[in-house]
Amino acid sequence: MGEIRIARQTDYDLFSPTTPIVIDNGGSTFRIGWAGESDPRIMFRNVAFRPRHRSTGETVTVVGEHDPALFKYFDCTRSSWRSPFDNNVVYQFEIMEYVLDYGFDRLGASSSMAGKVDHPILMTECICNPVYSRAKMAELLFETYGVPSVAFGVDAAFSYKYNQNLGICAEDGIALSIGFMTTHSIPILKGEPLPEGSCRTNVGGYHVTNYLKEVLSLKYPYHAPSITWEKAEELKREHCYVAPDYPSELQIFKKEMKEAEEKKRVWQLPWVPPPQEEPPSEEELARKAAIKEKQGQRLREMAAAKRSQKITDLENELHVLETLLSQLDEAELPEVASSILARSGYLSRQEIESAHLRVSQSLRKARGEPAVTVEENTDTATSADKYPLVSIPDEMLTPDQLKEKKRQIFLKTTSEGRLRAKQKRAEEEMMRERQNQLEEGRRLENPELYLEELREKYKELSEKIDQRKRLKTNGNGNGNGNGTGNGNNVSGATGRGERLNAAQRERMRLLTTALFDKGKGEDTFGLKDEDWQLYKLMSKDTDDDDDMVDPDEAELERVATKLQEFDPSFVGRAEAELMQSTQEPPRPRALTAEDYQVVLDVERFRCPEVLFQPGMIGEYQAGIDEIVSHSLRRLPNLDISIKDRMCQSIIVTGGGSLLPGLEQRLETGIRATRPYLSPLKIVRAVDSVMDAWRGASVYAASELFSTQTFSLEDYNEKGEDWLRRYNIVYSLYD
Amino acid sequence: MEADVVKSEMVLPPVMPFKRVQMGDKYQKGQSRGRYWKHLKQLLQAENFISLPLEEPNYLNIESPPSMYPSKKYCDITGFEAPYVDPRTKLRYADPEVFKRVRNLPNEHVQRYLALRNAAVIIR
Repeated sequence: MGEIRIARQTDYDLFSPTTPIVIDNGGSTFRIGWAGESDPRIMFRNVAFRPRHRSTGETVTVVGEHDPALFKYFDCTRSSWRSPFDNNVVYQFEIMEYVLDYGFDRLGASSSMAGKVDHPILMTECICNPVYSRAKMAELLFETYGVPSVAFGVDAAFSYKYNQNLGICAEDGIALSIGFMTTHSIPILKGEPLPEGSCRTNVGGYHVTNYLKEVLSLKYPYHAPSITWEKAEELKREHCYVAPDYPSELQIFKKEMKEAEEKKRVWQLPWVPPPQEEPPSEEELARKAAIKEKQGQRLREMAAAKRSQKITDLENELHVLETLLSQLDEAELPEVASSILARSGYLSRQEIESAHLRVSQSLRKARGEPAVTVEENTDTATSADKYPLVSIPDEMLTPDQLKEKKRQIFLKTTSEGRLRAKQKRAEEEMMRERQNQLEEGRRLENPELYLEELREKYKELSEKIDQRKRLKTNGNGNGNGNGTGNGNNVSGATGRGERLNAAQRERMRLLTTALFDKGKGEDTFGLKDEDWQLYKLMSKDTDDDDDMVDPDEAELERVATKLQEFDPSFVGRAEAELMQSTQEPPRPRALTAEDYQVVLDVERFRCPEVLFQPGMIGEYQAGIDEIVSHSLRRLPNLDISIKDRMCQSIIVTGGGSLLPGLEQRLETGIRATRPYLSPLKIVRAVDSVMDAWRGASVYAASELFSTQTFSLEDYNEKGEDWLRRYNIVYSLYD
Repeated sequence: MEADVVKSEMVLPPVMPFKRVQMGDKYQKGQSRGRYWKHLKQLLQAENFISLPLEEPNYLNIESPPSMYPSKKYCDITGFEAPYVDPRTKLRYADPEVFKRVRNLPNEHVQRYLALRNAAVIIR
């Protein structure tokens, strides 16, 4: 699209004032040059930008593309690139003026002393340009630039004329011009365009690039900053193509056939692999091991010190207790004994003895000797003694003794219960131990099979639990929906009564019967107090399942822990869900080259499809193949034979026509709208991008060009209505 | 101005010898010119096409009618044919795996996908 820095032309003065300047004012590119030349001198993007210069603070104007590095001197945040076009009509004439300034300046006009641009101007516009835009443009050229005369022409027509002269197309035909924002289909009869038959649809190259940019940015949000407009255009130019038949092309990729791999293109973004950590050298390892050893030793020493401390404490305590006991034994008088007791803080001798027993046991444990289970024996031995009254029948006891008996019965039953519970636990422990040993044995003899079985069991259990959870949430969702009108019902439209469990169904029933209008026409629920008893009948929101420890879930846990131990490829359910719900790659996995790749597979032909199906971007208009048929339909007075002739000479021009595969697709599309077996021939213009300017240049160079221009006086005299009807004659040089 | 900026001549000089009226005189500094220019919609309204004869082609006349083919529905994310629509976000999707991705999209992406299709609800 032209060089970044456009050199100023130096031969401006060499051209006489009769030489017209030809301007192709396109939606994407502005081309300016001299009439009669084969190429425009200056080409640049038709945009202007008004940033603030940082150091001086003034607002300056920049037109076209420039070296992006230079923009650091400017504050580019408040302003953006602006185009003088709105769709395909020029509306912003201030920006247009900046663009023209730049164009003329680079053409060398600044060297002239004339104080105006003293050349006739031929400028392109869109077909049926609104007269306001045309008038404003004429005004700008006449009053600001002092241009002597102006002519406006349609770029597509110029391109067609140029190709006609090259013999590519005939005198009658159709020009299909795919522009930046719009695409036109203009029938040409005897070399002149027929505006009444032309048709415009509002899709063009801009929409294709924009679609590509958006789709890639959304597919790779991590790389969105790298996917700029310029990059998207570049990708479009290099890799996009038009599918000959869109649905079957989609199928190639959907079914992941071999061709899909070949059609895939990968854009590798620059990335730097993280520096490899060298494996620690021998000395490093040795040093680290030594440090760990020392730390371990320190910990062990501390533990040992604590233990010995504890032992000495316990020994002291034991000693004290033993002296107390001996003192009590020695004490002959009961008062001495009780005073000793009071001093020590224990209430009776038995307490001291039990404390003594406890301390000696803990001492033994601390020392690492097996604890002697003395308690149980004493309990069982003295059970009969402890509860002497139990065996004596009731009648023989006094009321006090009866009370005593009741207490003893209670104590006995509870202690026996406790005993039984302990025994059952011990049995369960033994059973589990035996099972574990069996499993261990099985695992050791056949590890593969064991793992398989475990995995099977895991899958079954997790499915069961998932299903139950789903039912429960569905039921709860439906149940809650009654009261609160919860809109986010996961299941959507299920029948209300189906998945509620018994409790919820009962609640529904009660509510509906209470609220059912009994024909009185008034809601009398709540007037009587008894009505509210209804809520007592309803069970609370069913949480009982959660209270009970779900046996399946416990089993699942067990199996999961086993799998985690033995199976290296096992991923827990919770972790799997986590991984699915996050979109970014799970960290801290190292980034590979693949993460920095942008893959273009379906997008390659999906984006140009916008031209044929504008519905993809929400524009409910016809595609570029269909507008040809609309355009022909708008010429009812034309003979069929002429239309057939026209269809044999369809030229596709404009920047958007450079997509590979376009003509083939257009042919299928247009053939579908034409009568069976009518002739059809579609050719691409010799140079779709430049032909408009070249055609205009040839036109302006012809002798009769001056008959087609109008001057300021003409404009002032004849008025707006005349300007609206103004249309040049294209076939000047026949 | 910095040396490279001057060398590249990227900035338009304020005075151009080939102009009768310079930019600085035409557009006073400080005035906001954004509202001054009529956008295309306003242009067309002002044009008053109704008063013109119908047969004459004008900017609106030559606009294309809606397509005669029914619009196909394509998946917003993958681009394949999409028989399904997500009721919560109104995005179109092609199959269950894509649906998972649809549900996991952040809200901003959902709005951007819809805007691509001109289906986003704009709340001003």
